[in-house]
Amino acid sequence: MSERASTPTQDSLPRRFSDFATLGEALDYAAQGQRGLNFHDMRGKLARAYPYSEMREDALNMAYRLISHGVRKDDRIALVAETGPDFAALFFGCVYAGAWPVPLPLPTSFGGKESYVDQLSVQLKSCDPKILFFPAELAEMANDAARACNVEGIDWESFSDRIASKSDLPSAETDEICYLQYSSGSTRFPHGVAVTHNALLNNLSAHSHGMEVTENDRCVSWLPWYHDMGLVGCFLSPVANQVSTDYMKTEDFARRPLAWLDVISAADGTVISYSPTFGYDICARRVSSQTHVSDRFNLAKWRLAGNGADMIRPDVMQAFVDAFGDAGFKASSFLPSYGLAETTLAVSIMPPGEGIQVELVEETELTGHPGAPDRPIRYRAIVNCGRAVKDMTIEIRDENRKPLADKTIGKVWCTGPSLMKEYFRDQESTDACLVDGWLDTGDMGYLSNGYIYIVGRAKDMIIINGKNHWPQDIEWAVEQLPGFKAGDIAAFSVTTPGGEETPAVLVQCRTTDEAERAKLREQIRDKVRSVTGMNCVIELVPPRTLPRTSSGKMSRAKARNLYLSGEIQPYAIAA
Amino acid sequence: MTDRSEMFDRLKGLIEPFNKKGVEVGETTTFAGDLEWDSLTVMDFVAEVEDSFDIIISMNLQAEIENVGQLVDAVTKLTAA
Repeated sequence: MSERASTPTQDSLPRRFSDFATLGEALDYAAQGQRGLNFHDMRGKLARAYPYSEMREDALNMAYRLISHGVRKDDRIALVAETGPDFAALFFGCVYAGAWPVPLPLPTSFGGKESYVDQLSVQLKSCDPKILFFPAELAEMANDAARACNVEGIDWESFSDRIASKSDLPSAETDEICYLQYSSGSTRFPHGVAVTHNALLNNLSAHSHGMEVTENDRCVSWLPWYHDMGLVGCFLSPVANQVSTDYMKTEDFARRPLAWLDVISAADGTVISYSPTFGYDICARRVSSQTHVSDRFNLAKWRLAGNGADMIRPDVMQAFVDAFGDAGFKASSFLPSYGLAETTLAVSIMPPGEGIQVELVEETELTGHPGAPDRPIRYRAIVNCGRAVKDMTIEIRDENRKPLADKTIGKVWCTGPSLMKEYFRDQESTDACLVDGWLDTGDMGYLSNGYIYIVGRAKDMIIINGKNHWPQDIEWAVEQLPGFKAGDIAAFSVTTPGGEETPAVLVQCRTTDEAERAKLREQIRDKVRSVTGMNCVIELVPPRTLPRTSSGKMSRAKARNLYLSGEIQPYAIAA
Repeated sequence: MTDRSEMFDRLKGLIEPFNKKGVEVGETTTFAGDLEWDSLTVMDFVAEVEDSFDIIISMNLQAEIENVGQLVDAVTKLTAA
């Protein structure tokens, strides 16, 4: 075997900032150059270089196989999103065949078999695909899910062995749907975000403009391809902006996070690499104080260290700078950003070089809950998430959709060409957030001199270690226990004194027997752990204490406020 | 039988640094329920096991492992191969 080399950083092909009409056209162009994707093994060594030219050829063959198999324009094709050439070729194969690829998640952690099959099944039912593709390794679980949903299941190894007989490919229009994305919405009640070619390519061009991509940049990523930041930001964006990219699998990163920094250190060029807060956190924690970080790492080349996908924590970022400053890491490389699947991805990006900037805001302003006059004033550090990206407009509005003045906290709305078209087959949810060409992001924030500050999520989502937990899913799980019904349970996130988020679950309980209550709480704790993978704050509260909205729905936001202010008193339970 | 108990002891030794709650570790001890590990702790631990035995525990296999006894079986099988 000859020594393999990565695809080059620089190339004579003139760079185009994603100014294409369709995604297929974007790959056609990238394939004219030398750049491409590079897959690394668990220790960060190059395993496979995959130039865009090769990827395009594989994708076209996949498109021919799909068409021979009966796939037609606008069919959904579900793909288990394992980071590797197979998924990449199939994703673009679907695009060339006019079908919509739908990336689905991988299993994580120990003992997740049942919940994984369940999760796949729920998403398959939502997107109603013609085929589910998966790596052969996952055949058993994936086939279980496919069978349960009457979907044909095929492992991609055997599909690749089929003969590809050339046929005519359907033409694609720029305003047609390109793919469905399931990273938004809860596990139990999923939302397939439908994105058009035009919306996608517009947002991808905003990335390279916003990050001021240079000829010497490469991308390094371990983010999963079933999340918007991994898929759109670190797979589709490099293709449409012709950037060579180095990948690690997410599971390999989770086991050996420092290999991420090894890959960056070895990169030939300057590096753009993104991570949610927890990625920086585990690297800073994992590197032992004895190690001379400068012996192993060279992070001076890390031009943009992107922050996003969860609340950015300045203390964690400082710890990362403290741990890796000697290896050349510069705090000014941090690049806060804000986005969501409903806008394709990016809404705002910090101008490169400005780093992390925070403003202190009074806690009472953030919760909308007046503090007691005799209590000390508490402040929270809010991170500046940058300026609206190219073609995007941000507005802060009140409950009645009236725009608010600068530095006033309200709901974050935005508009621009990169908004999603709809939630697939869910008009009601679409109408709830897309109004007159504007998107209600569901997040809370304020604008200050053209910069957006995100203070929290009105949508109730709880993000821990980069993983999104939806209160609906937690509440649903508890409802499955005997004796509980919808409306008895409120799940929301609380911030621990250490600044970390943790889910809290309030459960209305009718039992007066104390021993019975203790048992009940243990049952609930186990159930909640089975969906979140972690221990949560579980409180039993008296019947009829959870507040309702005017329409009779249980209000999580109100429940959270009442709980934090001490107005909801949980039962004391002896350990 | 001694092979199995040796393997159990070695894995128990690897579990200990992660066993922050001092849970008594037996064959039926579960990682999520009894040891209360979150997914990041599990991955950190998997890396330890893989490095110690020079094996790779696949995603598929991981999904089937819920307790210590199942891990002992899985590692025994992988090291025998």
